[in-house]
Amino acid sequence: MTREDSLSQLKSGIMPERYRRNLGTIGIAGQRSLLNAKVAIVGAGGLGGHVIELLARQGVGHLKVFDGDCFAAHNLNRQVLATEKTMGMNKALAAAARVSEINPDVRVTAVSQMLEASGAAEWLSGMDVVVDALDTISSRRMLLQAARDVRIPLVHAAIAGFTGQVATVFPDDRAIDALFARQTDSDRGIESVLGNPATTPAVAAALQAQEVVKLITGIGQPLSSKLLYFDLEYNLFEIIQMPEGSKSLCEK
Amino acid sequence: MQLEVRLYATLREHAPAGAIAGVFFLSLPDGVTVKELLDEIGISEEKVHMRMVNGVGVADGHVLKDNDRVGLFPPVGGG
Repeated sequence: MTREDSLSQLKSGIMPERYRRNLGTIGIAGQRSLLNAKVAIVGAGGLGGHVIELLARQGVGHLKVFDGDCFAAHNLNRQVLATEKTMGMNKALAAAARVSEINPDVRVTAVSQMLEASGAAEWLSGMDVVVDALDTISSRRMLLQAARDVRIPLVHAAIAGFTGQVATVFPDDRAIDALFARQTDSDRGIESVLGNPATTPAVAAALQAQEVVKLITGIGQPLSSKLLYFDLEYNLFEIIQMPEGSKSLCEK
Repeated sequence: MQLEVRLYATLREHAPAGAIAGVFFLSLPDGVTVKELLDEIGISEEKVHMRMVNGVGVADGHVLKDNDRVGLFPPVGGG
């Protein structure tokens, strides 16, 4: 079975066997949309690795993966693409290799460098959705601007310790700006104290991947102008409505 | 007025003894703002990234009402 075979079957109203368990939720029309979709994942570490794994299995047809880092031993506790075999390997290239083992229907463009502000809009041009799987506030702010420049939705997540947050941002949605607006001394959050254990990135990434699937298929309701915050230490999940005109949030 | 306060992650260390999961109730005079609540609990502003009242994000100057449910969240940035 090739990618063309899968597309041809879907066109004839047949769900390819590898997607059979998607039939009851995603459906044939949804699966066709996914297989024709283009998703950029910026960062292939804790969040990005799981997002890539899930989107490849779900059958998103084109993934463009950006990461300039290489795997090191301290990634092994949580980054699904980090294995004894991939130590020292570039994360984007390791992602491409992993996807080829999971689903040959998926085409991966691996970019083994960090996305820079100067070329970001060009790199994202033609993508349907971009996933923010970065790990600094300044790089996230840059990516958000690039997503707005090319007018595609961005699916944000960030993690620290047992907590994490997820949001979907449409190009004209300014509510999320409050998240990145507050200037602190550090470019990082409380993860610099709490670190990043194994399960938190998997939870946040699963929520991000589901947002991507919703955006592409039109199924369900994305977290627009809302932030989902979770604290797994006490099983707390909060959905916070971000007010319009977010500047009011930044007033001291 | 009575407020339900919910502190998340690293902010829980500011919860009074006996609070479970960073959740506790506080009686304060009417008209208190979020900033004044922070002062009362002893949390400095820069430690709090988001303030939520009854599920909606607000600023420090927001005036609280009886039975409000206030959530305070630290900044999270890892990936």
